[in-house]
Amino acid sequence: MHVTRREFIQITGATAAGLAVSGLGFDLSPVKSHAQMIKTKYAKESATICCYCAVGCGAIVHTSIKGDGRVINIEGDPDHVINRGSLCSKGASLAQLTENELRLTEPMYRAPFSTEWKTVSWDWALTQIAKRVKATRDATFENKNANGQVVNRTGGIASVGSAAMDNEECWIYQALMRAIGLTYIEHQARI
Amino acid sequence: MAKSFLIDTTLCTGCRGCQVACKQWHNLPADPTVNMGSYQNPQDLSFTTYKLVRMQEHVTEDGLKWLFFPEQCRHCIDAPCEATAGEPTAVFTNPRTGAVLYTAITKDLPAEEIIESCPYNIPRMAPDGTLAKCDMCQDRVDNGMLPACVKTCPTGAMSFGEREEIVEMANSHLMMARKKFKNANLIDVDTIRVIYLVGFKPELYHGFAMASNAEIGITRHMALQRMFRPFKRAGAQLMRG
Repeated sequence: MHVTRREFIQITGATAAGLAVSGLGFDLSPVKSHAQMIKTKYAKESATICCYCAVGCGAIVHTSIKGDGRVINIEGDPDHVINRGSLCSKGASLAQLTENELRLTEPMYRAPFSTEWKTVSWDWALTQIAKRVKATRDATFENKNANGQVVNRTGGIASVGSAAMDNEECWIYQALMRAIGLTYIEHQARI
Repeated sequence: MAKSFLIDTTLCTGCRGCQVACKQWHNLPADPTVNMGSYQNPQDLSFTTYKLVRMQEHVTEDGLKWLFFPEQCRHCIDAPCEATAGEPTAVFTNPRTGAVLYTAITKDLPAEEIIESCPYNIPRMAPDGTLAKCDMCQDRVDNGMLPACVKTCPTGAMSFGEREEIVEMANSHLMMARKKFKNANLIDVDTIRVIYLVGFKPELYHGFAMASNAEIGITRHMALQRMFRPFKRAGAQLMRG
């Protein structure tokens, strides 16, 4: 008879259990298990929409009422007409948008040709972005195309992303992009 | 009759919502992953990964098939790990739900033997010897909620409920699946609480998808050795004390 180590342990384990309950003095009755308290019991619930794709699944955010307002849990909203409580792997990870120690909390800057990232202030970062966008836009702006038609556009800047922006943020963002003349505007949902 | 799961792999799209929802609910950290040429990640269950969608590619007579197997503890009706542990404060079955549960006391038990006693190769050990696996989301189920994996499943591949209802549902899903997959079957339906419906042979999905069904007898020697284990353990503790 060929018996692997795994099978051997399985057979002998089952035999011992059989003997024990047939009255050889081993008490294998389970320890009394109490109903556990659930981590969302005293949390505040708010409804939200998943930020990732165009499906627009509803989710419920449980936030701590201890005063720190941290997210305890995010899961699908069973009353939402789109997803009825379900979420895919991206939606199921929503809590990590706020609760993740690897998340960046300050702007970082890497100079051209540098290999180092350094922490910079929001003021410095936003001013730099504004200055560079303005310079590139002014340098590449076309009032008219080759046929003499008014186009008022820039081919020098493209926008790609972002997966973490929701519908309303995307609207404001694309309005800004179009106002400065971009035509290359793309979103994560189509990439 | 307690609870059961139905996992209809013919409806699974491999989105891994269950895998992430499980991590999220249990506050488990990510396992470092590497690209192994498959979308399956991580490569195996671990002390911090209780649920894993296994992915296999097979060329069948109808062309290439991508098989998904959302693996987790089967919560056996008579759990071999519980019998092997022989220590109800470490491994026990919750009578209300049928969940097989591990506590921190597993640290004091022979972990490798308990892992090997599992026909499905599920429990995993921390560096300090503590064992962990799926806990059927005891806190959620005790409070009338669905386990996190079942709640999040977008395709209806996973269901959870009273055992009689789930077995009935498994049989009706099987009838539907047979129309499309002639080899469709339920895995070990009478002995476990997590019933898988597969469209192809179980071994194509994963080596431990089904319990070994080799015919094996039990010798007196094997039985006796196991019977004396509690005394040996008590003796060893007295010596130490």
